[in-house]
Amino acid sequence: MSESRPYLRAQPRHWWAHQPYRAYTIRELSGVALAIYAAILLAGLVCLARGPDAFEAFRHFLASPVSLLIHLLLLAAAIWHMWTWFQILPKTMPKLVWRGKLIRQDVMSRTATLAAVACSIALLALFVVVGANI
Amino acid sequence: MARSANNSKQAAKKKPMLDMTAPDMKAPKTIELRVLRYCPSKDSAPAFGSFQVPYTDDMSVLQALQEIKATLDGSLAFRWSCRMAVCGSCGMMINGEPKLACNTFLRDLAPKPVTIEPLQNFPIERDLVVTVGDFVKKIESIYPYIMPKAPKTIEQGTYLQTPAQMEEYASFADCINCMLCYAACPQFGANPDFIGPGAMALLQRYSSDSRDGGQQARLDRIRGEDGVWSCTAVGLCSEVCPKQVDPANAVNQNKSKSALDFFLSRLRSKESVS
Amino acid sequence: MSRPKDSPLPKRTIAPLFWLMFGAGGMLAALFGPALILATGVMIPFGWGLPQSLDSYANVLALARNPIGKLVLLAVIALLFWHAAERLFLTLKDMRAAPVWLLRWLTYGVAAVLTVVAFALLLAIGF
Repeated sequence: MSESRPYLRAQPRHWWAHQPYRAYTIRELSGVALAIYAAILLAGLVCLARGPDAFEAFRHFLASPVSLLIHLLLLAAAIWHMWTWFQILPKTMPKLVWRGKLIRQDVMSRTATLAAVACSIALLALFVVVGANI
Repeated sequence: MARSANNSKQAAKKKPMLDMTAPDMKAPKTIELRVLRYCPSKDSAPAFGSFQVPYTDDMSVLQALQEIKATLDGSLAFRWSCRMAVCGSCGMMINGEPKLACNTFLRDLAPKPVTIEPLQNFPIERDLVVTVGDFVKKIESIYPYIMPKAPKTIEQGTYLQTPAQMEEYASFADCINCMLCYAACPQFGANPDFIGPGAMALLQRYSSDSRDGGQQARLDRIRGEDGVWSCTAVGLCSEVCPKQVDPANAVNQNKSKSALDFFLSRLRSKESVS
Repeated sequence: MSRPKDSPLPKRTIAPLFWLMFGAGGMLAALFGPALILATGVMIPFGWGLPQSLDSYANVLALARNPIGKLVLLAVIALLFWHAAERLFLTLKDMRAAPVWLLRWLTYGVAAVLTVVAFALLLAIGF
C-alpha cells in the first residue's frame, strides 16, 4: 500500500489579477470611486463650515477642467457600480415563484436596473424643479 | 431527358460502403495531453507528464484519460463513474477551468495541447485524485435532511407540496457534489475552512423545502467567519456548475438571513459576539 | 458520520453589521449615485441644464442647516464611505496587502473617523 502524502498547491498570490477573477476585482474597486465622491462631498462640507470664502474656493474647483474629468470618471464608475450591483442582486434573494414559475434572475436584474435609472432621472427632475424655484 | 436525370440521381445515391476520404479513416489524428502527475511514494512534488493520444471527434477528455490508462501508462489515477455528468466523480481542471472530464470534448479543445490538472484548492492524493474528506464533513455539518416543521405519523399520510413550493428548492436539489464550485471559489482557496458553495446549496435545498423546520439550526451552523461570511460574491461557483444549481444564490440569500438572525438572536438570548 | 449536534456552534462574527452598511450604501449609490455625480459634479458647476446658483453658499448652507438636509447629507456621505470600506477591506484581504487586523483599522477605522467628522461638521454648521 503506497503512502498517503497529500500535496496542496498554494493559491497563486495574484489570483485576483488574472482571469476569471479580474472582472470581480474591477467590480469591487468601483467602490473606491464612490469613496472618492463621498470625499469630495465631505471636502465641500468642510469648506462650508469654514465660511463663504472657503466655499467659493470649493465651487471654483468644481468648475475646473480637472474636476470635470474626475467627475466624468466617477460617473462612469458609478454607472458600472449600478450595472454590476443589479447583476448580483438576484443572488441575494430567495427563489421567487410567480404563477407557478420561477422569476428569472435576468428579468430581476433588468427590472431593477430600469427602476434605478428611473430613480436617477427623478432625482435630476427634482434638481430641475428646485433650481427653477430658488 | 427525364430518364438520364433519373440515372444521374441513381448514380449519386450509390455511395461506397466506406468513404475512404472521410477524416476519421485517414491516419489517426493525435492530441497532446499534459497531465499533472504525482505519486507520493516517488515524487516530492507534482510534475507534468505528456501523452500523445489518438482521438476521434466524439471523444471526451475522460475517454482520452482512459485511452492513456489502457495503452500508454497504466499508473495514471483518476476518478470516474457514470460518463454522463450525473455522478460528479470526474471533476478536474481542463485548460485551467474546473470541468467534468466526461462532459468536455476533445473536438472543442483540439488541436492545441490540453492541460489537465486535479481540482484546484484541494490537496492532491495522487495524479488527478484529490482529498474530499473535508467536503464530506461540511455536508454532514448542515443537517442534510428534512427536519419536519409539523411531523406527521404514517397514519396521518404523506407531506404534501405544491409544484410552486418545489420550485423554491428545485435547483439546489440538482447538486451532484462534483466540487467544481469549490475549485472556482477563490475564498475557499484562501480559507479551506470556508463551508463553501456546495454545502450551502445543500443547506438551502433543505431550508427552503416547505416541509422543513430546521432553518434556525442550519443558520446557527453558518453564522461564523467560516460560514456564509467568507463569501465575497465572486459568483464564479454558479458559472462553473454543470447542473445550474446556482450555489451563489444559496450562499448570498443566507447572508440576509444570517444578518437578520444576528439582530433577532439578541432579542432571544444573550450570546457573546466574536 | 459526524453529527452536527456533536460539535460546538461556530462563534458569531460581526461581519453582518458591515455587510448591512455595505448593502445600504451600495443601494443608495446604485439608485441615486449617477444622478448625484452628474448634478453636483457636471451640471451645476458649469450651468449645463441646472442653474449654477443651486450650489451657492447660501443655498447649500440652508440645506445643511435644515434637520432633514443634515440627515440626507450624513446618510449619503457616511453610507458611501462604509460601502467603500467593506469593499476595500475585502479586496485588500484578497490581495493579502497587509495583516487582516491592520486592514480592518485602515478601512473600517477610517470610515468611522470620517463619519464622526461629517457628523461634527454638520453640528458645527448649526441650525
